[in-house]
Amino acid sequence: MLAFKEKEKEQEKEQAPADVLPGLHRYSGKRSVLVVDDEAVNREMLSMMLSDVYDVLCAADGEEALEIMRREGERLSLVLLDVRMPKLDGFAVMEIVRGDERLRRIPIIVLTSERSYEVRSLRLGATDFIKKPYDEPEVILARVERIIELSESTTIISHTERDRLTGLFHREYFFQYVEQYDLRHAQLDVDAVQVDVYNFRLYNALYGHDAGTELLRRLGGILRDFLRETEGFACRQEADVFLLYVTHREDYDRLLGRWESRLAEDRRFSSVRLRAGVCPHADKHMHVQQRFDCAKAARETLGRLGASVAVYDSALHERELFARRLLDDMDESLADHRFKVYYQPKYNVTGSEPVLSSAEALVRWDHPDLGMVSPGVFVPLFEENGLISSLDRFVWREAARQIRLWRDRYGVTLPVSVNVSRMDMYDDTLTETFLDIVRESGLSPRDLLIEITESAYTDDAGRLIAVAEELRRQGFLIEMDDFGAGYSSLNMLAQLPIDVLKLDMSFVRHLRSNPKNLYILRAMIDIKEHLGVPMVAEGVEDEEQLKLLKEMGCDVIQGYLFSPPVPPEKFEKRIESRTQS
Amino acid sequence: MTIDDLRAFGANVEEGLTRCMNNEAFYLRLTAKAVSDDAPERLCAALRVGDLDAAFEIAHQLKGVYGNLALTPLFSVASGLTERLRGREPGDYLPAAERIVALRDELRALL
Repeated sequence: MLAFKEKEKEQEKEQAPADVLPGLHRYSGKRSVLVVDDEAVNREMLSMMLSDVYDVLCAADGEEALEIMRREGERLSLVLLDVRMPKLDGFAVMEIVRGDERLRRIPIIVLTSERSYEVRSLRLGATDFIKKPYDEPEVILARVERIIELSESTTIISHTERDRLTGLFHREYFFQYVEQYDLRHAQLDVDAVQVDVYNFRLYNALYGHDAGTELLRRLGGILRDFLRETEGFACRQEADVFLLYVTHREDYDRLLGRWESRLAEDRRFSSVRLRAGVCPHADKHMHVQQRFDCAKAARETLGRLGASVAVYDSALHERELFARRLLDDMDESLADHRFKVYYQPKYNVTGSEPVLSSAEALVRWDHPDLGMVSPGVFVPLFEENGLISSLDRFVWREAARQIRLWRDRYGVTLPVSVNVSRMDMYDDTLTETFLDIVRESGLSPRDLLIEITESAYTDDAGRLIAVAEELRRQGFLIEMDDFGAGYSSLNMLAQLPIDVLKLDMSFVRHLRSNPKNLYILRAMIDIKEHLGVPMVAEGVEDEEQLKLLKEMGCDVIQGYLFSPPVPPEKFEKRIESRTQS
Repeated sequence: MTIDDLRAFGANVEEGLTRCMNNEAFYLRLTAKAVSDDAPERLCAALRVGDLDAAFEIAHQLKGVYGNLALTPLFSVASGLTERLRGREPGDYLPAAERIVALRDELRALL
């Protein structure tokens, strides 16, 4: 994994420009200028004026001028060019220079007082004019200096405004250009588009880093070709992510298909899948970056299969606004006690009558405007955002306080299990935090059951095992949540120290629909017996499931059959009836 | 040839010297170079055979050089002739060209 990341970084680095100032003389440190005039007097006079400040090279006609230019290349800071000359005149020289990728960057000042030459010279790329008879040396020097300065600053821009790998703009320039473009074309209907290569890492992994780089280079070329046939710009934002700002169109699907087939010309790239997120009809009042954020949000809705283009629409917008709002409101809701901890009872069913044995703490959000918000909505959101940590800690603390309260009130200690999010596992103070919490409420670690989900750690089992071991050393009990869901690995189970196995809810739900599940359940029961830990089944909804699970050897049952998660006041009724019986 | 000679000739010596970074020797050397050139003779020859394109070319070139050296009498004749040739104005161009030769010879005599 890390290796891929490094490689992506390198690929980003390849855009690093070489900021070499052209024109600085190798030896003298002076800039070089070339004076081209067939009249020796004019030539020498200009040389005289310039030689204090510059290294002056001279040519008596166009051919000689070109020869020197080709030889000196970017080391020349400026060419002062007469128009009327034998052999090759100034216009012919400019024509040739313009077609030469290397020479065209060298600025040219045309030596003429003929107005009629000026327009033609400008068209051919001349930057300025010096008339004959010459102005005072100061004026000429100032002009020469200004043109060189201007050219050097724009040369630096042209070195860095484009990504070397793809020939597209860099992100910063791209956004600037988009802004400028919008100012001038406020009425145009344009789309902000984000394009990426699905599973780009794979190409680095399969064919090596060079192949990944080559893929990006080719895609850059394809996008450049595309921009020739439509109005717009493109840039490479980072690694394999490209941004396009183009005239509105509906056929991005077809377009991606076309680009993919061009990429497929190289056999290594025959299965490359491109994805695009489109923010259509860009709203010019929105900040550029925001429009591309929308395109990104749309692109992120795309999975591995199915559509390759997603358009940012009002539904997605609503979802985003909703998510934004929940994220914004979390802190305030925490402070205002808008988050409630509900408790779902767990019953021990090993005896003849089910006995209340423990509970699971589950968070509920009573949003001031939206009412009860499902944890299925906000938990994934907070997990993504990192906010989940403070919410988790609130729940843990609250659950501990509640255990203590019930103990004081009813004289029984009812263990409560709390969930630990993936993020918490990377908090080095996790064990300390739990210890503080039980200490604050005067509980022992065994009163708080810690639920961890194994499936979230397929790529970092070591971390999970280390944290679980540490918590157990301090006396906490570890409950493995969601067992039987998706990725449960027997291998991990062998290494992970656990105290309770918790059967996944969806597994319980499908127990009857698929007879194979019964065999699997049998195997799981074997495992838990082998490990010598109790098994909890959650999501149990009816008597039939209960009977089956009980017969098979499941120890504890949690589910709507007994009770949904309820507020503590309501839960207390159950404690009361237990203590009474 | 001295600076005073050129001043006596009618040259705008100050202007010419300025362009030469006030280097008198350099100015005099460039002027000597200019008056050693046979371009005025080639101008006359072109006019005699009626090659007005070539004549314009040379007149234009002379105008540039004389202008830069601020050899005012030569510059004004060359400049006037260049404009007349550019517009292909009717009339005889040769006297102006011969005038250039004469003025140039005046300076050549000082070398």
